[in-house]
Amino acid sequence: MRDTLHRIWGLVVKELLQLGRDKLLLTFVILGPVLELLLMGGLAGGGVENLPLAVVDLDRSRASRELITTLDQTDEFLVKAYGDSVAQAQEWMRNGEIGVIVAIPPGYSEALTDPQESAEVQVIADGSSYVVSTVAIATAENVATKITQDLTARHAVASGGPVELRFIARFNHLLDGQPNSITMMLGLIVYQVTLIIAAQRFTRERELGTLEQLRVTPLGRLELMAGKAIPTLLVGLVDCLLTTGLVVIWFDIPMRGSLPLLLLLTIPFVLVQIGWGTFISLISRTQQQAILFVFMLVMLEIACSGFMVPASDMPKTMRVLSSVSSVQHYLVIVRGLILRGAGLRSLWLPALALSGIAVAVTALAWLRLRLGLDTDSPKRRLQDMWYAWRRKQRQRQAGRRDGRPRGRGVRQPKLTREPAYADVRVEVRD
Amino acid sequence: MSIRRLVSVLVKEYRHILREPRTLWMVFLSPAFVLIALSTIFASGSGRVDLALWDQDRTSLSRQFAATLSSDEDFSVGYASDYEEIEELLVEQSIDAAMIIPPGFADTVQSGDTALVQVILDGVDTFAAGQATGSLLGHAADFGLALSRQFALPSLPLQIRSQSAYLPDAAEQDSMVPGLIPIVFSLPVIAAASALAREHEAGSMEALITTPVRGLEYLGGKLIAYVTASLGGLLPVWVVATLLFGVPFRGSPLLLLVLTVDFLLASVGMALFLGNLVRSQQTATMLALFIFFVPGFFLTGMIDPIDTTDLVSTAFSYALPSTHFVTICRALFLKGTGLTGLWQPALALLVLSVLWVGLGSLTFKKRMR
Repeated sequence: MRDTLHRIWGLVVKELLQLGRDKLLLTFVILGPVLELLLMGGLAGGGVENLPLAVVDLDRSRASRELITTLDQTDEFLVKAYGDSVAQAQEWMRNGEIGVIVAIPPGYSEALTDPQESAEVQVIADGSSYVVSTVAIATAENVATKITQDLTARHAVASGGPVELRFIARFNHLLDGQPNSITMMLGLIVYQVTLIIAAQRFTRERELGTLEQLRVTPLGRLELMAGKAIPTLLVGLVDCLLTTGLVVIWFDIPMRGSLPLLLLLTIPFVLVQIGWGTFISLISRTQQQAILFVFMLVMLEIACSGFMVPASDMPKTMRVLSSVSSVQHYLVIVRGLILRGAGLRSLWLPALALSGIAVAVTALAWLRLRLGLDTDSPKRRLQDMWYAWRRKQRQRQAGRRDGRPRGRGVRQPKLTREPAYADVRVEVRD
Repeated sequence: MSIRRLVSVLVKEYRHILREPRTLWMVFLSPAFVLIALSTIFASGSGRVDLALWDQDRTSLSRQFAATLSSDEDFSVGYASDYEEIEELLVEQSIDAAMIIPPGFADTVQSGDTALVQVILDGVDTFAAGQATGSLLGHAADFGLALSRQFALPSLPLQIRSQSAYLPDAAEQDSMVPGLIPIVFSLPVIAAASALAREHEAGSMEALITTPVRGLEYLGGKLIAYVTASLGGLLPVWVVATLLFGVPFRGSPLLLLVLTVDFLLASVGMALFLGNLVRSQQTATMLALFIFFVPGFFLTGMIDPIDTTDLVSTAFSYALPSTHFVTICRALFLKGTGLTGLWQPALALLVLSVLWVGLGSLTFKKRMR
């Protein structure tokens, strides 16, 4: 046991020395997350602002001009052009000059004041950007509601409809997009850094030829994995702490949950990445390959993470995939902890799932390691098994049970007793 | 500048790419594969709102309101009976919003006044909160309309008839698939960055220094190799987008080809510049990840529009080749815009490619480090 710890410690020191030597990498591990968070924090979740709007006013009345002014006064819209026809405005939209068209029909002002009729205004948003068009249509609806309220107040006519909804946004009263996007960035940053570092642990050694030196040391498989994992785990925890500090201090987002719990739940998350990274670095021959495998994995994980589409809105197959995606569970935990103040009582499910994935992925990496450190060793191992099986078959045919290799087709007389040579076994450790 | 030397670098790079089946697959086919994975999640369209309803009124009218909500496909309705329960459901993230119908709801409506209904939203995801607000407002308006008819109240003065141009059924996927194309092309681009860093790491740069090849020839050969190899991935991507996901392609295929070359020149140029700066592949990956991949989701206008309030971040957004290519892909696929509508992003990409390749060849020194 002491020897094991001693050997692991030696490997950890070596890994940390190697990490410390690459100054640029060290900068990226420490400074990269900070810079990325600062940069992204300033702009991620930038809402729709001053979307260029084209008006096709066929009414040309005071009421229609009032509508245009109200549209222009919103933060979202900026009236940029006046068109004579919808077709003309659509041509502008095709060339990307404007993002939304508002068409006011003739007879708008009369319909507006007539209690028996509704005025209908057509809004066409550029659907090529889904979020922008959704926001634009919602803004237009809000403007319509406002004008309706103004009218009812001014003319003291009927109420603004029988049912009115009053909205309160819990956890985020002003519906500011920043806290959510920054907390998700936090999770993604910890994810990237740990996965990349883990994924190149073995490939780099293989490329530099030092893997062979490692194989002749008395390090066992689990010791090797542990020694490679611990520095990555440290980096992950430091990055988590660093980015959380930045989120709380610089971006002034209150931490509603418990920090120790966040760090505790980060451990299984980082372990998953270490498992994946080890697996990838064992199956790829060069670092370049490892990098590309990592990116494939990152893309899949980010797709499933609920970052672009919430997991509950995905099609069924993707929902299954997202339930085994560590990032998805981690983002649920991070957002729940920091923004909603959730405790372990409401986060037990993602926490359990994360631990389960960690165990499964580590087991996968360990199995791969058992097959040997070479990229083609699984193939060789299978070949060995195949040859062994064939040999056994042939022996059975020949009616012989000792393991002595024989030439093909050489018939041997049946021995009556065990041969008198020593059974020598050579064990080779990876 | 000798064409012969450039071509021999080109041939060498192609050997590198073709030799490894795994690298080959990554450069040619992985963009299409990743596009499938990323686009599938947008298939089911806009989200349902998980709603908890607390009916304090318990009259036939409030139940009628609840019933119309339950029968609406946009909502999945559960029930709650006090504020603590609502709070717990919100913290657990099992609901997106809670609606509280106050006592006296039916009396207020029947007397012709406006009844106020409280809605508590989960404000964390603002886009989801906005969608929930929109669905609920629309539903309340419909219900109001039905009531107005029932009780002969006057009609609403102003109604909006809205539509998303180019997206007939407001299909989110049609907008997202073209927007994702620049991101999936970051795979071969990153391969280029790490291929350059690899020469330094593996020591083959030393061998190159002793050859008569010049910096521009070397970079040019690498650039052309990776741009043409990545371009080979365009056809699978296009097939996946149009045939598998049924995204319309309304523009000119030739223009798409030309502008993709434009985009790849800028991105591979930028990747080579970065790969040249760093010493190890690991660092090159980190740089590429921080510069191409993650910002690809956040800063290019693929999901949220580009933020123009801050000069630094705006400049950063426009310095990324992907930002311009998102505009180009969406315009070509969905709108069918011609070169007259796309000369701005096309020119920007051209400027960026000249800038990055120029910077790359200026900083490239055939010297040991």
